[in-house]
Amino acid sequence: MAYLATFFWGWLLASLLLGLAMGWISVVQHGDGVSKNWKRWLAALAVALIAASLARVVPGRFGYWLDLGLIMFALYLCGCAVGSWLRDWVVSRSTPAA
Amino acid sequence: MRGLFRWHGKWWPGVIPLVIFWAIAAWTSTEPLEADLSQRATAALKDTVLDKRRIAVSGRDVTFAADAFSEDGRLSAVASVEAVPGVRIVNDETRLVPEAKPFVWSAERDVARVTLGGSSPLPSSKSKLMEAARATLGGVEVADRMNLARGAPPRFDNVALLLLDQIAKLKDGKITLSDNKVTLSGMARELGGREAIAAALKNLPEGYSVAANDVKAPPYIFQAYKDPVAVTLTLSGYVPDNNVHAALVAAAGRKFFSEKVVDNLKASIGAPAGFAAAVVPALGALSRLSTGTLVVTDREVKLSGDALYEAAANQIRAGLGKEFPQGWQFKADIPVKPAAAPVDPTVCQQLFADLLGKARIRFESGKADIAADSAGLLDRLIETALRCPSANIEIAGHTDADGEEAANQTLSEKRAQAVADYLIKAGLPASRFTPVGYGSTQPIAGNDTEQGKAQNRRIDFVVR
Repeated sequence: MAYLATFFWGWLLASLLLGLAMGWISVVQHGDGVSKNWKRWLAALAVALIAASLARVVPGRFGYWLDLGLIMFALYLCGCAVGSWLRDWVVSRSTPAA
Repeated sequence: MRGLFRWHGKWWPGVIPLVIFWAIAAWTSTEPLEADLSQRATAALKDTVLDKRRIAVSGRDVTFAADAFSEDGRLSAVASVEAVPGVRIVNDETRLVPEAKPFVWSAERDVARVTLGGSSPLPSSKSKLMEAARATLGGVEVADRMNLARGAPPRFDNVALLLLDQIAKLKDGKITLSDNKVTLSGMARELGGREAIAAALKNLPEGYSVAANDVKAPPYIFQAYKDPVAVTLTLSGYVPDNNVHAALVAAAGRKFFSEKVVDNLKASIGAPAGFAAAVVPALGALSRLSTGTLVVTDREVKLSGDALYEAAANQIRAGLGKEFPQGWQFKADIPVKPAAAPVDPTVCQQLFADLLGKARIRFESGKADIAADSAGLLDRLIETALRCPSANIEIAGHTDADGEEAANQTLSEKRAQAVADYLIKAGLPASRFTPVGYGSTQPIAGNDTEQGKAQNRRIDFVVR
């Protein structure tokens, strides 16, 4: 993992920053989120892909691309979480106490 | 923390650029990653001895194929590749080098090259053998047909190096090592090479043995060429030792009275039994030819050349074989030289005087038996006598002044008679010859020195 991180750290950083930006925006964004049903399906898909990656069942280049995608997605989610939390903190501080 | 649950439903739009990023990252990083892993895997195997190594990388998966020389080596090679950072799966296609049973290694020499074949235990020993072969064999081409195999006997390298030294001593042939048995065949390069190889094989390490040594010695050759134009007798080839060498050269000097002896002989071991006993009479036969070649190959004597007259040719063909030791073969190709033009009796006298001026007819000491060494001279005298068929010849015997005069007189008469008999036996009419003994009454030199006495002991041919 350390070897991979040093090899394409640029893309991982980009994913993280993208996540931060998305998280930052999402706090004040109006509009619908993903429905509960969809969330369930997407979570199942993510779990399946992670399981496939850990079990190393996908061979060759596809296996590498799967790992790469999952790592980038994980960092994106981390970025989103941190971004959202920061924005929430900023927003709650600037709002006068009721 | 509550917020995270509230907002995570709105994170999905960022996934679209993320997927684009992912596609670009996959597109650009795959090949450099594969090249880097391949290089690292190769570097990790740098110190591991393997044959037919092949590394193929697809994504982070490495397909590793190789032939290892031991199970431990194979497992440690696979482990080294697995330990390379970034490698996900190693597809292990390694195997052990096949085991050779029996383990056979060979070195074969022909006219053009030396071919190393069979099995070798390790790439390093293979290259060591090739290097040693090139160094030992000088400029000879060395071809590598060796496979790699397990199962070599202990100290294989040392034995193979010892055997390579022996292949250098062969002209052609093959040396095979099968497990710990050595088989040799072929022809030694030089006389004595066979013995040198047999001696070197005694240094084989313990446990090794010679199953068969069929190395043949090269033929033992002795040659003599009588050249009538240059008036030389050229001796070449081998003699067993310096004593035989000196004896042969001395015999040649006695038998070839007018030719200069050119001595190119070399001493070497490996002579067939009875060498000197066969070569001396063969040289005697050669001395009777006007021109000819004597070739002694092992135990075969070949004599070719022109005899001076018919009876001489018959005598040589029939008589020489009988003089050889048992087991020797004799092949003669002896035509008769065309008869020389007839000449006047006066010219004949001159020719006799010339011949007898160069050499004397020799007898056994104190006896009337003609020495074998004089056969060449007598043939020349007979040839001359045949050129003047009308001349009558007095064969005059003389002695030195030692001893009683009566005894000398008798000896001189007997010796003159013996020469006359020899000529008659050669086919000349008895009526042409008158043997006369003069004892010591007609000296041509003083009888007070050994040299003078030797000059006085003589046979003269006088045309009447």
